[in-house]
Amino acid sequence: MSAGAAGLHRQTMTLPMTTSDLDLLRLVVAGDEDAFTMLYRRRQGGVYRFALHMSGSQTVAEDVTQEVFIVLMREAGRFDPNRGSLAAYLYGIARNHVLRRIEQDRLFVQLADSAEDAVGTCAAMIAEGDPLGDLTRNETIQELRHSILVLPAHYREAIVLCELHEMSYVEAASVIGCAVGTVRSRLHRARALLVERVRAARDRNSSSEEVKPARCFA
Amino acid sequence: MNCHDLEGMINDLARGQMMDASLRQQALSHAESCACCGMRLAAERSLTTGLRAVAAATAAEQAPMLLETAVLAAFREQHSAKPAPAFVTARFAARRWAYVAVGAAAVAALVMLLSLSASRSRDAQPPVERKAEGTDNAVPVPPRELLAAPRPSPSPAKDDQKLAVIRTPSPVKGTPGRIRNAASQSKRAADKFDESGSDAEIATDFIRLMNRDSLPQSDSGQVVRVELPRSALISYGLPMNMERADERIKADVIVGNDGLARAIRFVR
Repeated sequence: MSAGAAGLHRQTMTLPMTTSDLDLLRLVVAGDEDAFTMLYRRRQGGVYRFALHMSGSQTVAEDVTQEVFIVLMREAGRFDPNRGSLAAYLYGIARNHVLRRIEQDRLFVQLADSAEDAVGTCAAMIAEGDPLGDLTRNETIQELRHSILVLPAHYREAIVLCELHEMSYVEAASVIGCAVGTVRSRLHRARALLVERVRAARDRNSSSEEVKPARCFA
Repeated sequence: MNCHDLEGMINDLARGQMMDASLRQQALSHAESCACCGMRLAAERSLTTGLRAVAAATAAEQAPMLLETAVLAAFREQHSAKPAPAFVTARFAARRWAYVAVGAAAVAALVMLLSLSASRSRDAQPPVERKAEGTDNAVPVPPRELLAAPRPSPSPAKDDQKLAVIRTPSPVKGTPGRIRNAASQSKRAADKFDESGSDAEIATDFIRLMNRDSLPQSDSGQVVRVELPRSALISYGLPMNMERADERIKADVIVGNDGLARAIRFVR
């Protein structure tokens, strides 16, 4: 932990870790920096990973995370606890920003930097020890992540929220802003698409690895 | 349990979601007996395993510490001086300038409207008006309307009958000698008319009442303020607002020592 982080950690010592999100938010509205720091540390990881899974880019994930908490500090009073949890509120803001970025990025051609960015992200997932097993697992994860990223956005967010973030259907519906049945049907369809894509990828790999007999004309 | 029923619950089954135990057992039994559903369930379970591996692999991913520092700095900055956000300030400033511009436009429109109505009300007044410095020493000022419109003489007179008295001290001495052509004074009179205040009296040119030839010699005279019916304007060739015909109008009459009226002007 850096010196700055240690200093920030010391600042949050005054608040108990069991303080609820809602209480923290009230303190944030009143200008309590410790409360904001605790809330940030509690929720930034989920927001960042959601943006990362949705976009496949660390840069976009960082931008979206920053935007989410900037919006929170400026418009904390707009949060209505009757409409859902604070986490769902933050995920909803992140979702809007990510979808906007995805829509903007559709206008541009993907450059090598983005591909390297994605590779770097996957490289960070590699665990040490048992190189062969790690390699196989990493390939599987890479394939799966790539398959998730090429899903349509409304299927992708269902997979990311319900599978990768282990949200319930109700929570995911709150984030997306749709009915629970819609989330179920989207998740069902998204899983079916993923199964097809993963199977197709495996078939491609297995067919390329097969030794094809070639006739010798010598 | 058939294949269709299993398809409806295969996601929950593969994800290990809570469900009725007997229903779950029936689904698993069907998947064991049906090769197609068995493969389908195996694929779904494999996918669930893969997705959990992805979630586990990325569970440690967090935003960089620099981001936290930047966000907290932004929070500190916002709550230190409590300023409005930059975009809000800019938007409000732009809106404030818009308010100023609209207000200025409204004031300009109001001024134009007032000036227009004032000019129209001036048009409705008798066209020949002039500021009078007093009843005793008037400076005849021919208005611009008078110069443009011909003014018929009540008697068969010549062109030089439309004369103006430059100064008419009381008693008036040598009045005929001080009568000049109105046209020669038009510019100066118009300027004075413009400079006149709203409280001052406005008077027309003096209009000769007798021919120069028949005018007896008189070195002095007096200016007498009289009231006449507004219809008298018509007899001197001046326009009259018929709606105000019942009103009376003031006039100054130059009376010579012989008791004969030499000239008249109308005063407002």
